[in-house]
Amino acid sequence: MTPGWESALSQLRQFYPPDLSPQYLKALVVPLLETLQIAAAATFLVIVFGLLLSLYVGARLPGARLLYALMTCVRAVPDLTLAIFCVIMFGLGKAAGMVALTIFYTAATGKVFADLFASADPGPVEALQSTGGGRVAVALVGLLPLRLNDLLTYGAYQLESVVRAATIVGAVGAGGLGTELYGAIINYEYPRAGTLILILVMVVAVVDRLAWLVRRYPKFLLVLAVVGVASVLMNRPHMVPLAYAIGRFRSMLPPQAPDHLERVPGLVGETLLMAFGGTLLATILAVPLGVAAARNLSPVFVYFPARRFLEFLRSVPEVAWGLVLMGVAGLGPKIGILALGLHSAGSLGKLFAESLENVPPEPVLAMTATGGSRIAITSFAHLPLAFAPMVVHSLFRLEWNMRAAAVVGMISAGGIGQALFNAQQLFHYREMVWYLIVTWALVMLTDAINTRVRKHWRVSEVIVR
Amino acid sequence: MGRAQFEHPPSPSSGLVITMLEIRDLVAAPARKVAPVLQGVSLQVGRGEKVAILGPSGAGKTTLFRAISGFVPVLSGSITVDGVSVQGLRGARLRDLRRRIALISQRHDLVDRLRVHQNVMAGALGRWSTLHALRFLLHPKPDELDEAARALDRVGIPQKLKSRTSDLSGGEHQRVAIARALVQHPLLLLADEPVASLDPELSGQILSLLTSLAQENGFALLCSLHQPHLAHQYFDRIIKFEAGKIQQDGPPSKAEVRA
Repeated sequence: MTPGWESALSQLRQFYPPDLSPQYLKALVVPLLETLQIAAAATFLVIVFGLLLSLYVGARLPGARLLYALMTCVRAVPDLTLAIFCVIMFGLGKAAGMVALTIFYTAATGKVFADLFASADPGPVEALQSTGGGRVAVALVGLLPLRLNDLLTYGAYQLESVVRAATIVGAVGAGGLGTELYGAIINYEYPRAGTLILILVMVVAVVDRLAWLVRRYPKFLLVLAVVGVASVLMNRPHMVPLAYAIGRFRSMLPPQAPDHLERVPGLVGETLLMAFGGTLLATILAVPLGVAAARNLSPVFVYFPARRFLEFLRSVPEVAWGLVLMGVAGLGPKIGILALGLHSAGSLGKLFAESLENVPPEPVLAMTATGGSRIAITSFAHLPLAFAPMVVHSLFRLEWNMRAAAVVGMISAGGIGQALFNAQQLFHYREMVWYLIVTWALVMLTDAINTRVRKHWRVSEVIVR
Repeated sequence: MGRAQFEHPPSPSSGLVITMLEIRDLVAAPARKVAPVLQGVSLQVGRGEKVAILGPSGAGKTTLFRAISGFVPVLSGSITVDGVSVQGLRGARLRDLRRRIALISQRHDLVDRLRVHQNVMAGALGRWSTLHALRFLLHPKPDELDEAARALDRVGIPQKLKSRTSDLSGGEHQRVAIARALVQHPLLLLADEPVASLDPELSGQILSLLTSLAQENGFALLCSLHQPHLAHQYFDRIIKFEAGKIQQDGPPSKAEVRA
């Protein structure tokens, strides 16, 4: 970092104290409600569609494989790019944000749910099949109850990600807190940006509790469903200029390679640097933070603040971290690495803590029985036992960061993402689609590597974030 | 290091018996806020003695073992190991007690992701400093590997020193757990259903290994089983457990041998 720590700190200090004047807070009520609405509507649609699609795949109805492949493909498109497409389709506003989030997270959730169904205990399912029940009946009576717990856990996770994503799509004009945050930072209104980040942290913390409630009392989902339906109705697209949209989409095809093809390897290199560097940074930070946040390893006065700190890290979206750090670290891939690294450290730290909490108790007891110190037992038992899930979580994060590296490109962090965003700004849509395909290929490649590694470590768990 | 344990004199076959474990009127529960399963257990075990504990599952055998190694609280009564009272021990003093009591259970003792030599030398964690333990994980010294190899040699699988633990068979798994116990130089070895997941032939091999090691090293062996014929074949004293109480305690009688 060129400006040195001194000036970096003084830069960051500008965010404090946040602007808590009543006028400003009052002005934020509407954007906050907008974000929550987008999130609630998208979550509702995602759970409904994701469940239907995954049951379709789980029941192995005709075309199930194709559908699964399609979901994998859609999932590899950065959500921000989808949001741009949706803005073209539905115009600026909340509807575009809602549809973009719904498409992306339905594909993501549908794929994970389908994976969960595929790894369901075959015994009861075969028993049901032998009663002569149809495929759909077996899926509903067998797969659904068998996997209900995991579905709820993952669905609750999804809620949190959607809320965060709902703020990001705001940055491309889909309304809500994202638009405000982007505006505040672009206009050097740092105290206001501080306020917005504070609100984000609080919203994510509340959603975290909500997710916990849903897991604990599944009936709570009905309340959320009512809120979800209402939000969907309020956000439904008012007009769909179909002919116009089709015309625009047609003008994007066929994809066109950029004029300076020789620059592309460098751009891919920057994206890989950000994704790998960010994930590496996150993993290095997340191991000690995860140990500190694990309830079975650390005393309450350590794990409680550690958990809050992790919540803070991950409730600020990558783009927002990038915007905050821009004044500190300048432009280029290094803010990409820092932004992806800090946000991912929050997510990975939480997942590492859970992995450490979920190790089988028997080997730990046997290790404790040798009379070793706490640190010795943690390094001989907990860490090796949690190693496989931790590796898998990190690899999932790498895949996630491939996409996120494209998203932070839009705030001048470089790489394919910046080229993509520039092409979009200049209305070079055919070139934009070409960059999109490159990004998509990178994500698919990481996904394929993940699948191989998961098979190698025999880890079937699929909790992604 | 590995020599200390071999210097233990064999148990005196006659005359003075040194008490290794003494339990008086023990009442204990498997966890906090749970009804006690042990209801007034008293027993004494001497150095080099080989004792089998027989009883149905749920009789309190596991709770007894966990109480002895200080994993579950003693509600009333007392446990003394080599003259040291177990109750109320915490921190370094509890760890000091644990390093003298080796614990082997059904199956899942070992950390699959570690190599065999790492699992074996985990038995030394009680006497190593934390830094020593961390250094060993990254870079074991030749004499430490030697000690692991000697322990594995004594349980009959010297060739497995650097194997992956997840590649071991059920019998080898148990042998590695026993090797770890040997590295611990225990005064008392608690084996909780050590052969529950093994076939009859392997069960016999493991029990004869355990009892002969107890004989050679002079540690007291307390082993829970649910097959009476194995208890009668390998042990010189049998305690029958039922519903948290001792029903019978004495040498095996031939009449009771049922295969």
